[in-house]
Amino acid sequence: MVTLVRPANEETIMTHHASQRRAYLTLVLISLFCLMPFFWVVLAAFDPKASQFLQIPDGITVNHFWNLLANESGVRWVLNSVGIVGTATLLTLILAGFGGYALSRTQAWWKRPLLYAIILVRIVPPPALIVPVYKVMLFLNEWINNLINSLTSDVAQQVVLSRIFSFVDGYLGLILIQTAMQLPLAIWIMKTFFDAIPKDYEEAAALDGASQWQTVRHVLIPLALPGFAAAGLFAFINAWGDFLMPLMFTSSPELQTLPLGMFRAFLRVDAIDYGFLTALAVIYTLPAVIAFAFARKFLTQTFSGGVKG
Amino acid sequence: MFNMTYEARRQFGYRIMMTPALVLMAAFIVFPAFYAFSLSLTDDALLGFAAQESSYVGLRNFSRLFSDPLFWNSLKVTLIFVIGSAVIGQFVLGFASALMLQRPVKYKSIFNAIICLPNAVPEMVVGFLWISMFASGEYGTLNRLVAWFGVEPQQWLYTFPLMSIIIVNTWRGIAFAMILLTSGLASIPKDIYEAARVDGATDTQIFWRITVPMMMPTIFLYMFISTVTTFAIFGLVYTLSRGGPANSTEILGIYIYNQSFTAFQLGYGAAVAVISLVVSMVLGIIYVKALKVEV
Repeated sequence: MVTLVRPANEETIMTHHASQRRAYLTLVLISLFCLMPFFWVVLAAFDPKASQFLQIPDGITVNHFWNLLANESGVRWVLNSVGIVGTATLLTLILAGFGGYALSRTQAWWKRPLLYAIILVRIVPPPALIVPVYKVMLFLNEWINNLINSLTSDVAQQVVLSRIFSFVDGYLGLILIQTAMQLPLAIWIMKTFFDAIPKDYEEAAALDGASQWQTVRHVLIPLALPGFAAAGLFAFINAWGDFLMPLMFTSSPELQTLPLGMFRAFLRVDAIDYGFLTALAVIYTLPAVIAFAFARKFLTQTFSGGVKG
Repeated sequence: MFNMTYEARRQFGYRIMMTPALVLMAAFIVFPAFYAFSLSLTDDALLGFAAQESSYVGLRNFSRLFSDPLFWNSLKVTLIFVIGSAVIGQFVLGFASALMLQRPVKYKSIFNAIICLPNAVPEMVVGFLWISMFASGEYGTLNRLVAWFGVEPQQWLYTFPLMSIIIVNTWRGIAFAMILLTSGLASIPKDIYEAARVDGATDTQIFWRITVPMMMPTIFLYMFISTVTTFAIFGLVYTLSRGGPANSTEILGIYIYNQSFTAFQLGYGAAVAVISLVVSMVLGIIYVKALKVEV
C-alpha cells in the first residue's frame, strides 16, 4: 500500500528493505537462542539411546513415556505434584475470591494501607523466609501431631493422618505454604476484576429478590470468571514450578513431587537415566506451557499490583 | 449483630470474608518476616547445644556478617547477577524483540510464542536443560556451537560460572521484558511518529528522542519488577550450580540456604535474611511511592 504522507521513492524503499531484514535477523537470532535448549530435551525423550548430549536419534521410541507409567516413583511424583499444586490452586482461588471481593467492596479506612501492604508481602523474597518459616512449620507440626496422637491410638491411622496433615513432610503443610505464597498476587487480580463489576448489579439482583448466595452465584461469579481464570493460572504456574518449598519441607520418598524428585534423581551422577528424566521433563513442562499460553493475555493486567506473574 | 444496620452488617461481612486469606498470609509470610528479625539476634542452630536452647546474642550475628568475606561475595554476586540478567540481558533482548515485532513482519505470533516458551518452563527443568547446553567435552551443545568459531571446548559452569547463570536467567526472562515493553510501545500515540517522519527525522533520532522518553514509565516499571523478582531467585541457580564452584554463584538466597541448612546456623542465616528483607522492602516502598499505584 502506498502511504500518502511519504512518497515511495527509491531511497525509502531501500532503507525499508534493509530495516525489514534487520528486524527478521534480530527476531530469528533471539528465537534461536530461546529454542536452543529445547532441542536436546525433546529429541532425547524419544531417543532410545538418550544421553546428556544433543544428538540426532537413530530411531524414534515412545518407550521412555511408557516406562514412566511403569516406574513407581515417576508416577508418584506426577500424582503428588498434581494433588498438591491442584489443591493449593483451588484453595488460592476460593480465598482470593472472597478476599478480593471484600477488598474491592469494603469502605474501611484501612483499605488502602492494606492493599499497599499486600504489594509489599508479594515482594518478600521467599529465600529470606526459609529460617523463620521452618520454625513456624516445626511448631505447627508438633501441635498437629500431638492432636492426631490424642485423637487416635491406632498406630496405622496415626501414620496415615500424620502423612496427610503434617506441616513438615506432609501434604497439608506444603499445600498451605504454596497457597500463602500465591495469595498476594491472586487477591490483587481478583480485587481488580471485582472493581470493574458495578455495585449496581448486586443491588439490582437484591431488589429483584435474589438471596445473597444467588447474587454471588448468578451475578458475581460469572462476571468475575476471567479474573478467576487469570488468578488460577498464575497461582498454578508459580506453584507448579516452585522448587524452594518442596526442597524445604519434603524428605520422605512417598511425598516427593516432580521438581525435587527429578533433582535428586539427577544428582545420582553415576546412574542418570536420561531417557526417563527427559521424558519426565517433557511431562513436567507441558502443563506449565499450556497454562502460560492461556495466561499470557492476562499478564499485562497483573502489573498494576506491581507483581510479575 | 442483630441491631446492626444493613450497611454495617455488610461491612462486617467483608471483614469475615477477607480474614482466611489474611490469616494465611500473616502466618506464613508476615509473621515469619518479623520473626526473622528476632531470630537474627540469637545463636539458634539446627544441631548441637544451641539447637536445644538458643540464647540472645545481640547484634553479634550482624557484626560477624559484615566482616564475613563470603557475605560480601554473595552480595556482589547477587548485584552482578541482577544487573547482568535483569537490567541488561533481559531488557536489551526484550526491548529489541518488542521493537522488531512492532514492525510489519510476518509470523509475529510464532516469534512471540517462541520467545515466551522459556518463561513457562519450571525452574528445575531450566537447570536440567542448561546443564546439557553447558556440558563439557567436545559433544556439549555450546561447545559444538563455539567450535564453529574455532573456540576450544570449555567447562562453562566451572570457567564462567557467573556468566553462565546470567545467560540462563536472561534466556528465561526475555519474554517478560518483551510483553511489558510491548504494552508500553502500544500506548505511544502513532501520530507523533507520523509528525516526526514528516519533519524528516531518522529512525535513530525517532528512537532516542521519542520512543525512549515516552517509554520511561514502562522502563521504570520493568526495572523495578525484574529487579525484585531476580533478587528473589533461588531454584534456578540452585539446580544449576548450588552456589558453586567455590561460592562463585552464591546469590543471596542460596547463601541464606547454605548458612542455615548446610552449615546449620539458623541465627546467622536469619541475619542474612534480614538484610535481604530490608533491601527488598526499601525497593518496594520506593516503588509504591514513586508509581502512586492506583488502589
